[in-house]
Amino acid sequence: MTDNQTIQPAPLDVRPVKRPIWQRISVVWLVPVLALVVSLGVAYSSYANQGTLIEISFENASGVTADETVIKYRDVTVGRVEKVEFAEGLTDVLVHVRVDKTVAPYLDDDAQFWVVRPDVSVRGITGLDTVLGGVYIDGSWDTEADVAQYEFVGLESPPQTRVGQRGTVVSLRASDGSALSQGAPILHKGITVGNLGTPQLSFNGNDVIVDAFIQSPYDQRITSNTRFWDTSGFSLRLGAGGVSLDVNSIASLIEGGIAFDTVVSGGAPVRDSQVFDLFFDEGTARSSLFSSPTQNAEVLNIDVLFDSSVRGLSAGSEVRFQGIRIGTVTDLSAFVVTDQQEQAVRLRTNLAIEPSRLGLGPDATPEDALAFLDGLVADGLRARMITGNILSGSLQVELVQVATAPPAVLTRDADGKGIIPTTKSEITDVAATAEDVLERINDLPIEELMSGAISMMDSFERLANDEDLRAVPSSVSALLDEARNLVGGEDIQAVPADLRAAVSEMRDTIAGLNTVITGANDAEIVQSLAATIETANTAVANIEEATRNLPAITARIEDLTDKLFAIEIEGMVDAATQTLNSIDVLIGSDATADLPASLSAALDEVRLFLSEVRAGGAIENVNSALASASAAAQAVETSVEGLPALSARASRLVSETEAVIQSYGERSRFSAETLGTLRDIQSAADAVTNLARTIQRNPSSLLTGR
Amino acid sequence: MAGSGTASPLITAREAGLVACQRCGRVHDRATAVCVRCGGGLRSRDDTSTQRVWAWLIAGIIAFIPANIYPMLLTNTLVEHSESTIIEGVFELIHHGSFGIATIVFVASIVIPLGKFMAVAYLAISVQRRSALNQHQRHRLFEVVEFIGRWSMIDVFVVAILSALVQLDSLATINPGIAAFSFALSVVFTMLSAQSFDARLIWDADRKSPQ
Repeated sequence: MTDNQTIQPAPLDVRPVKRPIWQRISVVWLVPVLALVVSLGVAYSSYANQGTLIEISFENASGVTADETVIKYRDVTVGRVEKVEFAEGLTDVLVHVRVDKTVAPYLDDDAQFWVVRPDVSVRGITGLDTVLGGVYIDGSWDTEADVAQYEFVGLESPPQTRVGQRGTVVSLRASDGSALSQGAPILHKGITVGNLGTPQLSFNGNDVIVDAFIQSPYDQRITSNTRFWDTSGFSLRLGAGGVSLDVNSIASLIEGGIAFDTVVSGGAPVRDSQVFDLFFDEGTARSSLFSSPTQNAEVLNIDVLFDSSVRGLSAGSEVRFQGIRIGTVTDLSAFVVTDQQEQAVRLRTNLAIEPSRLGLGPDATPEDALAFLDGLVADGLRARMITGNILSGSLQVELVQVATAPPAVLTRDADGKGIIPTTKSEITDVAATAEDVLERINDLPIEELMSGAISMMDSFERLANDEDLRAVPSSVSALLDEARNLVGGEDIQAVPADLRAAVSEMRDTIAGLNTVITGANDAEIVQSLAATIETANTAVANIEEATRNLPAITARIEDLTDKLFAIEIEGMVDAATQTLNSIDVLIGSDATADLPASLSAALDEVRLFLSEVRAGGAIENVNSALASASAAAQAVETSVEGLPALSARASRLVSETEAVIQSYGERSRFSAETLGTLRDIQSAADAVTNLARTIQRNPSSLLTGR
Repeated sequence: MAGSGTASPLITAREAGLVACQRCGRVHDRATAVCVRCGGGLRSRDDTSTQRVWAWLIAGIIAFIPANIYPMLLTNTLVEHSESTIIEGVFELIHHGSFGIATIVFVASIVIPLGKFMAVAYLAISVQRRSALNQHQRHRLFEVVEFIGRWSMIDVFVVAILSALVQLDSLATINPGIAAFSFALSVVFTMLSAQSFDARLIWDADRKSPQ
C-alpha cells in the first residue's frame, strides 16, 4: 500500500476557485424574494383598499351583527359592519361600518341610513330577503361628492323618498288624521303615483299636516287647481239611480289613501311644500273647484267670544257674511275672561275666513282681510249665531251689520289674533214651538170628555142588557132555521133527480123509436113516426123547460132566504144603531141638566121602538117574507102546471105509437120491446103527473118540506 | 486526514475517493466529472445546497403567513356567508365538539408545517455548526421530513374536493380562499427546501471542525 502510495501522484488538492458573490448565489433566492414582494404588495394593496370607517347611530339596531350585516346602496353591497356598541350613557347603538373607498366620498350630510327588516303590510311584502339572510343596512345618498362625513344618525324607518328620487312634495292639510297613515298610497286615476309621509299636528294644533310625495313625472299633473281627497274606506250612496258602492283598492280600504285630480286647466305650477286641503270625499273635492277657487289659500284665523251657549255650533259650521259663506268654524273652547275683578267664562270660537271670499281678490292675504274687517267692525259689523238648520238645531256664525250697535273695535288678543265683537244671536228654537203645542194639548178638558163617554157607555150597557132586545136575534135565528129546513127538505131536493130520470128514459124511448123507424123503412110508418117524434120532442122540450125553471126557483128561494137573513139583521142593526145615535145625541146634547128626564124619555122611546119591533116590524117582515116565499111556491106551481098537459100529450103519443106498433105486428120481438119502451115513457109521464099533482094539491109542502 | 479517519469507524465516499451518481447511483472515481452510465454530472458535495435550502425555506415561511391570515374556505349558503381561516376552523370544530377532526386539522395544518420549518432550519444550521444530535439521528430527521412533506397537502386536498363538490348555485357554494393557495405554495416550497438539502453534508460536519 505504501509502495503504491509512493508511485501514485500526490493527491490533488482541488479547491474550487472563489467565484464572485453574485455567481455563488443560487437563482433559487429569487423565489423568496418574489414571495416577499408579492406578499408585501398584497398587504399594501389590501391596506390601501380598506374602506373608510363610518359610524351610524341607531335607536334600535335589532338584527345588526358585526362582520355579518352588510350595508347596501341600491341593493349593492358597499360595506360591512365591523363593530356594534353602545354610545355613552347607553342612549344609542353605534354601528361601525367599513364602507368601500369608492363610495365614502359621497357620504355627505344628505346620506340616510336605515335598517331593512321584513315588512308585511297591505301594500305588499318588502324585505323578504332579510328573513333568511338577516337584516341589512340600506343607505341613500345623492351622486354628488360633497364634504364627506363619518358620523351619521340612522333612521328608524325607511325614508319616504330616496335621496335623488325626482318628484314633488306637497303638504296636505286635513282636519282629521285618522284616515291617514304613513306610506299610504296616493292615487291618480287609480294609479299609485306617490305616498304619504308621517301625519303630524300642525303648529297651532288645529289641523293635521301630512307630506305627500308625488313621483316625477306625475307631479306635473299638480297645479294650484288640483284637489286632493280621501279615498279610504268605501262610500255607499243611495239615490234615484240606485245604490252605488265605491271601493278603491283594498290597500286604501285598510290603510287609507289619497287621490288627486286636476280637472280645470290653467292652474299655476306648484312649489315644493305648497299646502293643499284634503277633502273628505271626491264629490266635495270636485265641487270645491268651482265653489272656492282659492281653497288652498291661506286663511285668516279670527276669534269670536260668545257669552251665551254655543250648543249647536261645531267645528265645520259655516261662517256667513251677508248670507255668503266666507269660512268655517275651526275650533270651540271655553275661555276665562277677567273683567274688573270678575271672572266670566266666554266661549271662544275660532273662525277660519278665506280672504278671497270677502271680495278682496284672489291675491288677498290674511292681513288684508284683517284690516278689511277692522274697518267693517268700526262701521257696526258684529258676529252672531243664527239657526242653520231648524230640525237639527245646528247653528252658524253670521257676520252682520248692525246699525244700532254700540260702538266697538276689532280687538287683538295676546297672540295678535283679532276678536270680532258680538251681538244678540237669533236662534229659532223648534223645541220651544213644540213645547207650546204640547202645552195646549195639555190644557184640553180630556177628563170631562172621558167621564161623558163613560156615562154614555153605561147607558148603552143598560140598553144592551134589555131582555127583549136580546130575544130578537134568537127568534130571527129560529126563523132562519125553519127556512133552511124547508129548502133542505128531501122532497124538493128529489124533484130535479126525478125529472132527470124521466127525461133520460124519454130519450131512451126516442132512441129506440129511431131504430124502429130505420129498421121499418116504410113511408107511412116513417111519416107517423116523424109526427110522433116531433110531438115527443115538443114534450121533451117542455119538460126540459120545466126542469130548467126548477133550479131557478130553488135559486130564488135561496136568494130570498139570503135576503131575509141580510135584511133582517141589517135592519135590526140599523135600528139599533139609530137608537144608539139618538142616545148619543141625547147624551151629547147641551141640555145636560135635563139628562135624567130625557134619558128616561129616550129609554121610553127605545122601549116603544123595541115593542114595535116585537109587535109589528120584525114579525111583519117575517110574515111578508113567508108570503113572498109562498108566492114563489105559486110560481113553481104555475111552472109545473104545464106538466099534466105534457104528460097527457105523452100518453097520447104512447097510445098512438102503441096503435102503430100493434098494426105492425103483435107478436114480433120488436113490437114487444117498443111496447115496453113506450110503457116506460107512460110510467115516466105518470110519475111527472103525480109530482105535478102533488105540488098542485099541497103547495105549502114546498115550504114546509113535508 | 489519517487521524480523522481513525477517529470514526465510518468512512465517507469522499474520503474513499469515490463519488456516486446522484441520478443512477453508479460509483465512480472522484475525478470523474460525468457519469459513464447516465451522463449526469458528478459532484461529491453540492456547495449551493445550503443556500437553496434557506431560500426555499424562507419562501415557504413567507407563503405560510397569508395561509393563516386569509380565509381558507369561503362558504356561501342561503342564510349566511362565512369565511374561516385555518385556526378559526379548528376552533369552530372544537366548539362543535369534534375534537378528533380538530386535532387532525391542527396537526396537519399548523404543527407539521411549523415542525418542518424548524427541522429543515435545524438541519441547515447543523451542517455548518456542531450539533447536539449525532449524524445518524440527523439523517433520520431528514428522512422523516422528506417523507412527511407529501402528506402536508391534506388541507389543500380537502378544500379542493369540497369546492369541486359543493357548487349548488345560490343554495350553497364553497370556494377556496387565498389561504388555500398560499398553503399549497408553502408546502411546495418546504418540500423543495427539504429536497435541496444535500444529506451528505451531514456527514461532513463533524470532520470539518477539526480541520
